[in-house]
Amino acid sequence: MKKSILLVIVLAVPFVSGQDQRAVEIVRRVTELMSQPNVKSLGTQTITTSSGKQRTFEFEAWTGNRGEKSLTRYTKPAAIRGQAFLTLNNADDIWTYFPRTKRVRKLASHAKKQKVQGSDFTYEDMGGGDVFMVKFVPRYLGEELKNGDVCHKVELIGIQPEDPPYPKIILWARTSDFVPVFLDYYDETDFNIKSLSMTDIQDIEGIPTAMKMVMTDHKEKSSTSMVNLEVTYQWTPPKNFFSERNLKK
Amino acid sequence: MKRLVLLLVVPFVVWAQPEFFGYFESELDIMQQGSQRYSFGYNKLRLDIESRPSDNILIGANFIAQKYWGKTNWNVYDFIPGYADTELEDYYALPDTLFLDNVYMKIAFPWLDLTLGRQQISPGVGYAWNPTDIFNKKSLMDPSYEQTGVEVIRLDIPISNRTTFGVIVQPSQTLKTSTQQYTLSSGVGSFDFSLTSSYQKQQDLNSTILGHDYIYERQLHGGSIIGEFLGWGVWTEFAQNVINEQPPIFSSSLIAPDMDFTEYVIGVDHTFDNSIYLLGEYLHNGFGIAKKEDLTLYEYFPSLLGETHSLMQDYGFVYIMHPTFDYITLSSLVIASFNDKSGTVAPQLDWNAFEDTNISLQSSFSWGEDDTEFGLQDWGIRLRIRGNF
Repeated sequence: MKKSILLVIVLAVPFVSGQDQRAVEIVRRVTELMSQPNVKSLGTQTITTSSGKQRTFEFEAWTGNRGEKSLTRYTKPAAIRGQAFLTLNNADDIWTYFPRTKRVRKLASHAKKQKVQGSDFTYEDMGGGDVFMVKFVPRYLGEELKNGDVCHKVELIGIQPEDPPYPKIILWARTSDFVPVFLDYYDETDFNIKSLSMTDIQDIEGIPTAMKMVMTDHKEKSSTSMVNLEVTYQWTPPKNFFSERNLKK
Repeated sequence: MKRLVLLLVVPFVVWAQPEFFGYFESELDIMQQGSQRYSFGYNKLRLDIESRPSDNILIGANFIAQKYWGKTNWNVYDFIPGYADTELEDYYALPDTLFLDNVYMKIAFPWLDLTLGRQQISPGVGYAWNPTDIFNKKSLMDPSYEQTGVEVIRLDIPISNRTTFGVIVQPSQTLKTSTQQYTLSSGVGSFDFSLTSSYQKQQDLNSTILGHDYIYERQLHGGSIIGEFLGWGVWTEFAQNVINEQPPIFSSSLIAPDMDFTEYVIGVDHTFDNSIYLLGEYLHNGFGIAKKEDLTLYEYFPSLLGETHSLMQDYGFVYIMHPTFDYITLSSLVIASFNDKSGTVAPQLDWNAFEDTNISLQSSFSWGEDDTEFGLQDWGIRLRIRGNF
């Protein structure tokens, strides 16, 4: 009996390890795709509350160093025109700028969990970089049809000392090109608190790009739709672009 | 200076297809103080004009038309304990105004940003108080409200990505009589810090009130640190003020011989998992008075007229906020003076009624004896509606 258990373990280890290796590779390909060197975009953000009320914002956004740095500036509506935020170190450091008072304020890391302009995206959700690779352990769960595409399904378990944004995420990425099309975010009680759906995948300068992202908050029954109106990857940030100086520009 | 800036700016504004935006704001206030109830308010139109003739130039201006209603003449003595029922009178009027609040031009060279003209200056990291701010005094009931512009020349010289050296000069007839502020700001890891040195020649308000114009020199050396500790946002802002010349006349004046003073703020904030945001600040202002029995008119006047950051020495400020319903935020602030054991609690409701329309209702209830800073007032209500365009 002992021998047979040992045999099962010995046989299973390479299998599990192979599955995990596959998951690691998928996450690496997803990260590579999602973290282009530099991106400049214009977009809208529409928040739909649980009661169906809507607010729409317009913004311009820039990301650099494969998503490690970002700057977002709101252009509409008038009430928040010019408000901007700068994130560095994958949103570990956040500065916000309020044009009415001409004041820049550094936010502590707890602010990463705050909603951006009352939306269903947190500052942390907006940060990119290699978060999936360094703050999570992936596990391959197989292939599944999602949003009409055959997808790899990967479970990401947060590595607690790394301060992951969520304890668990399940990711669906297209098998054809590793474009992520759906993510489920879980809390400590394993409740699926939010879901992100990415649709309208278009080829922008040779890179498959989701032009629409909808984050749904299952607890608050609200959702936020972010639509890219213009995207370019052929943009090089000028020196010190991601700085407090430029935040106030 | 103002005319020169106007001459420089106006042709640019006409040529460079400016953007227009701003807001209309209406406010109603009711205040109960002893047996007196005051109602007052204003209607305010702010029109901003902004133009970017090129990537490196920003020209901005804003006009404010403000019309007050209700009680517009205020006797300062009504707000000084012990003087409210006397015959003493010193009235300050709130006249209807139409003025150019800010008018400035910002030129971004690769090695520096130069901003000329009347502009808003917001130094420091404190929320309710800024000891290093020699240009403004915040309203404790609304610390994040915009400040009036200051006529300055401002240079911001980037040294590295997170390090900047800033110079602000408020020009006067000579450089020696001009207010100057030098700031070196930088950051390491999760912390930002700054060092500030300021020089100011200022009129002693008390001497002016008593008919003698006395100018004194003030040097301020201070700084700020902001970062996080154990998941909480933490900051401090501090200033050592040195008065270089002594007043010849008044021993208890604004700048009595031993009035070099230290002022600092310590603050923390945190957002909890249930979205409650909590902010707390403690202020020590060495220029303030420790015992209410020692207060004289010479302390009340500069405080009431915004010349000093606080009347007393030690204060606490707490702000708690929660986005409770769709587009409705409930919050409350508590301000306490530890020296005279008075304070006020002010619950507030903010409603983003439409995309560009905000309605806020704030009430305030004070505690403390009648001869204390906050205890003087019983309660107040403020309704403010703002429509942005």
